[in-house]
Amino acid sequence: MSNLSVLFKGKIGNLFLNFEHYFKNNGITILYGPNGSGKSTIISALGGFINGIETRIIFNGNELHDIDKYPPNKRPFGIMFQNPILFEHLSIEENLDFVIKRNQIKNQNKSSISKEYLIKHLELNSLLKRSPENLSGGEKLRVVLARTILKQPKYLLLDEPMSDLDIKYKAKLLVFLKNFNKKFKIPILYITHSIEEISQIGDQIILVKDGKKIASGAVSDILNTNSFGDLTGKFELSSVLDGIVLSNDHNLHITTLDLDGQKLIVPGLPGNFNDVVRVRIRSRDILLSSSRLETKITENELEGLISTIEIENNSAFSELVILLKNLKNNKNIQKLRARITTYNLKKMKLSKNDTVFIYISSVSIDRQAYQSI
Amino acid sequence: MDIYHHLSSDFTSILITLKLAIITCFFLALIGTPLAYFLAFKSRKTKPFIETIVTLPLVLPPTVIGFYLIIFFNPETVFGKIFILLTGEQLIFSFYGLVLASIIYSMPFWVQPLQASFEKIGRDTIRTSLSLGAGSLGTFLHVIMPLCKKGFLTSFIISFAHTLGEFGIVLMVGGGIHGKTKVIAISIYDHVEQLSFGKAHILAGGMLILSFIILLTLFYFNKRTVVRIK
Repeated sequence: MSNLSVLFKGKIGNLFLNFEHYFKNNGITILYGPNGSGKSTIISALGGFINGIETRIIFNGNELHDIDKYPPNKRPFGIMFQNPILFEHLSIEENLDFVIKRNQIKNQNKSSISKEYLIKHLELNSLLKRSPENLSGGEKLRVVLARTILKQPKYLLLDEPMSDLDIKYKAKLLVFLKNFNKKFKIPILYITHSIEEISQIGDQIILVKDGKKIASGAVSDILNTNSFGDLTGKFELSSVLDGIVLSNDHNLHITTLDLDGQKLIVPGLPGNFNDVVRVRIRSRDILLSSSRLETKITENELEGLISTIEIENNSAFSELVILLKNLKNNKNIQKLRARITTYNLKKMKLSKNDTVFIYISSVSIDRQAYQSI
Repeated sequence: MDIYHHLSSDFTSILITLKLAIITCFFLALIGTPLAYFLAFKSRKTKPFIETIVTLPLVLPPTVIGFYLIIFFNPETVFGKIFILLTGEQLIFSFYGLVLASIIYSMPFWVQPLQASFEKIGRDTIRTSLSLGAGSLGTFLHVIMPLCKKGFLTSFIISFAHTLGEFGIVLMVGGGIHGKTKVIAISIYDHVEQLSFGKAHILAGGMLILSFIILLTLFYFNKRTVVRIK
């Protein structure tokens, strides 16, 4: 298990950075926050590119913050900057060899990630002889990612890597990153603005604002709290649920998921039988009822227990956290967050620990929000 | 005076001019390149001040620079003494006096195209190279230099051509001593003064053709690069 303890404190331009965090997992940590909140600066500071602020970087017991002792080229991080750059005077293969040559010892190591592995999984074969000039955005990104990994970094820092990628390719690359992370146990710090990317690959998340850490924790916990929505106002409150594929209907293009013994029908074919699939459901798409409806408005009926009720000030709405009933072993752990009018809440006379029935239209389930994990 | 004497005298001026241009470019590469790099990437607060000093020779009359060089490098001054220590001669009327004057006078022609070229490849490229494990020197040699090939070529060619064409400052500092500090531009001036238009034609025409070829080469290889002189 790798551990990384960082502190950055000081003024950089208009930003006052005061960021402290202890990273202690091998998974994917999302760095999330509005523009100008200091996300990219944190990555730059880790890379050794920021001078004149109080800095502490302790990685697996080694102090790395002294720039004279550990200049950028001596740090164990693999960084993909926001505007990924390929060296235009070199071919794609030479771009990859550039980093191999400069990290020869690490590349001779048995446990190192081979060029062949990356060429295969990032589909670079047809690009090798080409010049960076006429590569598409997606192709360029794959090459830069491969080059960054060939440094054999101990920690991967990716600054909005997928921002100009089309959805189709994005899904593929996200799967690659997740698998890569699991296979080689190289932790990833990942900056993104995309809720889809967060819910698909994030394990941990750190929320930053104005250079400060607002909150951090497991993606599923943070995504289910109000602070996330407050931070940006950009994304709607939503919940993330894990389900197992029970069956796929290839004709109708729908999949039935098993959520702790309950059934959920989702559009598309997100995985094969027995795959674990993550689904994101927006809070406002949830309808609640205090009793089971006789006439079904949707196939998707789930049963849960109200765990908290929060009535918003100066608003017509209330937030409810519902624990999904686990029909298999009675351990209700999956949380669903619903947003309904306070009027409705009062009318239904719902209170804590009540059983509720949850109705979700399949259409409202985010198509990009699931993935085999 | 027989014609052969004159021809060989002109030939000497040509050799001195070429020698001056080559040595000047050598020193420009040594001093101007780090300066251009500094201006492109490092300086923030000092940048306008340094840029102004580097660009001054473009707007000042050459005689002003020549005048101050003579004053500052007077053998009585510290600079003058250092100059004598290094070259064995005092600045005025010496070849290395010309070299120093040319370095200062052609500095903007070396620094500006190269600075523009460095700025174009940008900080991100350098950061990328460093983060991939290349050191500062490796980054300069294997990333910046090849990417700024055109910038170096432009700087070299126009500095070279500009040094060939100097007149005011070389006359002021060098005095036009035959075989020592007399360059082509001064030879032409002398010929015209003596109404030897034929000889002036040969040198002037030669300069015209040479400069034309040099610039044509530059623009031919540098189709897409704009030579930016402020």
